[in-house]
Amino acid sequence: MEGIEQLPEILRLASGYIYPNEAELHWGFLVVIYPYLTGLVAGAFILASLVKVFNVKALLPTYRLSMLTALSFLIVAPLPLLAHLGHPERSLQIFLTPQPKSAMAMFGFVYAWYLMMVLLAEIWLEYRIVLIEKGRTKKGLKKLFYKFVSLWDTDTSKKSIIFDHKAIHFITLVGIPSAFLLHGYVGFIFGAIKANPWWSSVLMPVVFLFSAIVSGIALVLILYTLTSLFKSRPIDMKCLEKLAAFLLYALLVDFSLEMLDFIHRLYESEESIEILGHMITNRLFISLIIVQMLLGTIIPLITLSILHIKKDMPVEFRRLGYLIAAVLIQMGIFSTRWNVVVGGQLFSKSLRGLTIYKVEMLGTEGLFMGILLLVLPLIILYFVAKILPMWQDDPVVDSGTK
Amino acid sequence: MPGQVKRLLIFVVIICVLFVVSRVLLVPEGFGKYGHYRATAIDTIIALPINYAGHIVCNDCHDDIAETKDASYHQGVNCESCHGPSNDHVQSLEEDEIILPSAPRDRNQCSICHAYSPAKATGFPQIDVVTHNPVKPCISCHDPHAPDPPSVIGGCIACHRGITRTKALSAHSNIECNECHTTQDEHMVNPRAFRPDKPRSRDLCGKCHAKGATSETFTKKVDMTEHGVGYLCWQCHFPHHPEAN
Repeated sequence: MEGIEQLPEILRLASGYIYPNEAELHWGFLVVIYPYLTGLVAGAFILASLVKVFNVKALLPTYRLSMLTALSFLIVAPLPLLAHLGHPERSLQIFLTPQPKSAMAMFGFVYAWYLMMVLLAEIWLEYRIVLIEKGRTKKGLKKLFYKFVSLWDTDTSKKSIIFDHKAIHFITLVGIPSAFLLHGYVGFIFGAIKANPWWSSVLMPVVFLFSAIVSGIALVLILYTLTSLFKSRPIDMKCLEKLAAFLLYALLVDFSLEMLDFIHRLYESEESIEILGHMITNRLFISLIIVQMLLGTIIPLITLSILHIKKDMPVEFRRLGYLIAAVLIQMGIFSTRWNVVVGGQLFSKSLRGLTIYKVEMLGTEGLFMGILLLVLPLIILYFVAKILPMWQDDPVVDSGTK
Repeated sequence: MPGQVKRLLIFVVIICVLFVVSRVLLVPEGFGKYGHYRATAIDTIIALPINYAGHIVCNDCHDDIAETKDASYHQGVNCESCHGPSNDHVQSLEEDEIILPSAPRDRNQCSICHAYSPAKATGFPQIDVVTHNPVKPCISCHDPHAPDPPSVIGGCIACHRGITRTKALSAHSNIECNECHTTQDEHMVNPRAFRPDKPRSRDLCGKCHAKGATSETFTKKVDMTEHGVGYLCWQCHFPHHPEAN
């Protein structure tokens, strides 16, 4: 109802003809954050799977970081939806009375499967020995805590460790399609809305998925570089180079898919093309053309390509280049989510007009709430890293300073 | 089976048991009996007060109107769409005092459907509420039970829409154009060459406004022998909207 007071202002800024119920956007800033967060989770997990399934040894230093990043972001992923819907207690209904015909209602199960059966199981097996050791050495409440999280396991035999590795390999194998399902599902939700020409596309889940992989790798690259910087740990340049290489490949695929989607729409030239073109060149000019395409895709593509080809550049310069490219990519992917979610509601279904969207500062749908939800996973990651050591067993080669 | 798998399995089993127990305890009774909702919700809905009688009940008594309406363009418009919820009216029929349903007389009711909207289908009768015979209630020209199909406007209004609108708001709204203007047929074909004439004497206005005229008592009257001698009335007064000066 808050929107009604703003209605005259919105209608003054709307252009062309819009239906009365289109003046106010129902999916706002928080719904933009939701696919962004799930994308980061899926991307970070896919990166972790490169180590365990595809045996990319160079990425080993980032394996634990990727897993814990995925966990921290996954814990926060449903919060934007809960805050947006306003009745968190009702969220349990989707578990109690599952509705298999609704893709949205099944999210709870996709989420629960991914959290419980993939991420938590894999992290538990990865850290089992650490937890048992801490359960033995710590005292008091901490001891009880570590005993509890290790599920009172005491087996640290070589045989059990070998089994852990095999089990992790198997879970990661199951985890890859699960991660695809988690984020592909988010794309599917949008792609399946056939009444909305901006969303309705079979390519949507695939585009979402690859942009998720891009954002996940970029996030881990940023976190790896920054934590190494603040903890004064030498950066493993081999690992960073490999991360950047995978980031480049994923970005190339993502860019190609987005271009394919774009060209397909242009060639198809459905009746909506005119208003969508109008929307891109007016309402979404900054967020789509400037931030998503130019800053978030083309500049990082050029930067990463140059650094990929010219290997003789100074190490400090390369690190900075990778970091800047990764930060720009994060901005670009956030813009992608914005353009999908907000863009799909900016044009009228009469295809004759455009409305506007302004983010509030305060309130449950406001800018501060959004920033809190974006920072919260990092705070959780900080505390998770206190319990589960991120680095101590990682082989670190300081190739950068040699 | 390795110890860690056993522990994980126990953990999973506990979660599953918790899930099943919460389902048994928390899912409302009768959920899913008829569909994906609580069966007792139907009783809750039945207990709600009834406001609408439904057009079949209306037709029982008002069969003549129903017959006319069903043959007209408004055949798909329900009685209570315009007359409002009428269950009270039906229930009161057997009581001493009959509650009458509302009968809209202002322009807001018809404009719900007939106000101009670019999203409406071509051919659907639409008007600009502000300029279409301002102030006049719709039912003074249109019968809502048998509305006329839209027709192309003709006569003076086809070209002189501005004057028609102005006049419609004035005290002269009921005076036809040709009472003051004589127009040749050729004006319709060649309007600039054959212009309609304007009153050339004061007698025409005097018919209503001269002292002693038999017009309504609220019509302003003047002594024509003293008032504005030497001028024609319309040289000082604007006959399409006389209140304006």
